Amino acid sequence: MDAREIILARLRAQQRDEPHPPAWRSRRHFPDLIARFGQALEEVGGEFLRVANWEGAWEALGKVLDDVGAKRVVVNPDPPLDRFDVAARWPTVEWHVVGRDGDVRSFAREADVGVSSAVAALAETGTVIVASGPAHSRLAVLLPPVHVVLLPASRVTVDLFTWVAQWRGASSPLPSSVTLITGPSKTADIEQTLATGVHGPGRLIVVLVEEGGE
Amino acid sequence: MSPVTLGHFRAQARQALADPFLQQALAGATAHFREGRERALAELPDAEALRDHLKAIRRATLARLADHLETFERRAQDAGAVVHWALTPEEATRIVVQIAREHRVQMVVKSKSMTSEEIHLNAALQAAGIQPVETDLGEWIIQLAGESPSHIIAPAVHKTRQQVAELLSRATGQDLSPDDIPALAAAARRFLREKFLLAGMGISGANLAVAETGSIVLVTNEGNGRLVTSAPPVHVAILGIEKIVPTWADAAVWLALLARSATGQPLSVYTSILTGPARPEDVDGPKHMHIILLDNRRSTYVGTSYEEVLQCIRCGACLNVCPVYRKVGGHPYGSPYTGPIGAVISPLLFGLDQYPALPHASTLCTACVDVCPARIDLPRMLIDLRTETVEEQLIPRVDGWAERGAAWVLRHPRWYRWASRMMRWLLRPFIREGRLHLPPRWDPFAGRRLPAPAPRLFRDLWERGDV
Ligand code: SF4
Repeated sequence: MDAREIILARLRAQQRDEPHPPAWRSRRHFPDLIARFGQALEEVGGEFLRVANWEGAWEALGKVLDDVGAKRVVVNPDPPLDRFDVAARWPTVEWHVVGRDGDVRSFAREADVGVSSAVAALAETGTVIVASGPAHSRLAVLLPPVHVVLLPASRVTVDLFTWVAQWRGASSPLPSSVTLITGPSKTADIEQTLATGVHGPGRLIVVLVEEGGE
Repeated sequence: MSPVTLGHFRAQARQALADPFLQQALAGATAHFREGRERALAELPDAEALRDHLKAIRRATLARLADHLETFERRAQDAGAVVHWALTPEEATRIVVQIAREHRVQMVVKSKSMTSEEIHLNAALQAAGIQPVETDLGEWIIQLAGESPSHIIAPAVHKTRQQVAELLSRATGQDLSPDDIPALAAAARRFLREKFLLAGMGISGANLAVAETGSIVLVTNEGNGRLVTSAPPVHVAILGIEKIVPTWADAAVWLALLARSATGQPLSVYTSILTGPARPEDVDGPKHMHIILLDNRRSTYVGTSYEEVLQCIRCGACLNVCPVYRKVGGHPYGSPYTGPIGAVISPLLFGLDQYPALPHASTLCTACVDVCPARIDLPRMLIDLRTETVEEQLIPRVDGWAERGAAWVLRHPRWYRWASRMMRWLLRPFIREGRLHLPPRWDPFAGRRLPAPAPRLFRDLWERGDV
């Protein structure tokens, strides 16, 4: 018998009937989802910018790029960013558009900022959720020291439980990589002193677009 | 490794107690985590009900673990991962080395994984000529120092900033100041960044696995878990067979309690959900994904009185409240698993003859049960293991006699009363200013001055109706 059979046989010999508990339902009720999201995000060290529409979003992004002094920026044009030509707005910046400009790895490691959207966000914890795919490089939003998320307000849900219920209902398969991001990269491994940006981005900026569409 | 005997544990504990930096660091870190946990749970609308729910999920999952593992295997394979099963640590390391050889890997990056410590993976890799690089900052620091982790969540909590600066200066060839901690972290970022991009393989653990989608879930705060599983072309994940839940509804409960119980964060900074290797349409990510399911005796405890320990989600909350761990830290345990959970699981996974001291390294105060998100009754199992150590004569005779004697006295009220009187009488000469001053030679309290016994026995007060 190989390891697999031995392990399964041992477990089968002890198998018992025990009802599995039903799914836990979210018990959270936030009067203002967006406000809660912003507050939770700031509590974990993220930056929260709230704008009315896409025009406002570009303005906010422009300020961030200025503030960072960004020279090289990589963008994951995941929906709804695929509707815009983000790169064309800042001709003086060197852009890499994932899916259009070839190998992202060497560009991303030298980039100052990574820009993406998010498939969902959790109000309870201030979390944004990104997923891999043809227009979403994992490294593009991981290697640069700053990650800017342009997030349509409609994608904010209550918490983990409502998020899971949503996509389980949708029955589309999980992308190979889904990442829940709750704040900037941090460590307290040296004398319990907080340091940010140790491996992932040291700044996480979420621009929430109220009329951002779906 | 030589067995962790009572003598060994006591000697190491004394050393820890005599180290003022360690005492301060342990007190600071464990208090910080304790307060964080309390705050985070208080903020939840129904923390207690959620804990009950987690317990029910864990118990029910173990009842049909074979089914869930098979579902997990099938779904992970559907997603393109290769699933391996390992009965022993040796089998697991052999599989990892073989995968590394197949891909001609010379260097691997690792994200913190208790399971990889359990199987001594780094030693096995080195023996095979493959260089392992730990990438969690704390783990890397202790790897550079050639030491073992002292806390599940904060592995390098025992190192001073001076020691860290020295280790990192040597590793990076720079002259780093101990007084600029962000600069130390930044130096680590630069140095390890190159390793991530050069490594032929990434090795991670998994905090849990979800059967219905064949996914593994990995949480980190630094982002090294994301890098380890995104940058190299091959990803190998190693996890114990008990770290599984049937559905995403269950996984959400686990995640809702994991970081809150561990550090007080609502969620860890990064929760990576990985389902198979990169798909053809993906821009990046590993081309190959291997998942190793490790048994190492776990399956032999299902259906026994020790099954409950397999409900553990490895949050470390029990360490932070344990009066023994908080004073002695992780090293006396001589195992990657320390504190109350380590005292139960180390003897079970590696053999009681290797860890006879651990079941005794507890006051049985049950603080661990109060904070455990899965409400695991560790003290019950500690007592069972203690019984085994005495019956199998794994601890020195004197200690065995003392425990048998204590058990007997505790079962006989009259003798108990007599013993308490006797004790007070014997201690009387050593009481000064309301405190106990035992001569150093007999002092089991390592110099701490316990208060003198109360003037009257509680039992007497009770019987006379004075309380
Ligand atoms: S025994 Fe409970 S408290 Fe301790 S690490 Fe495991 S889950 Fe956490």
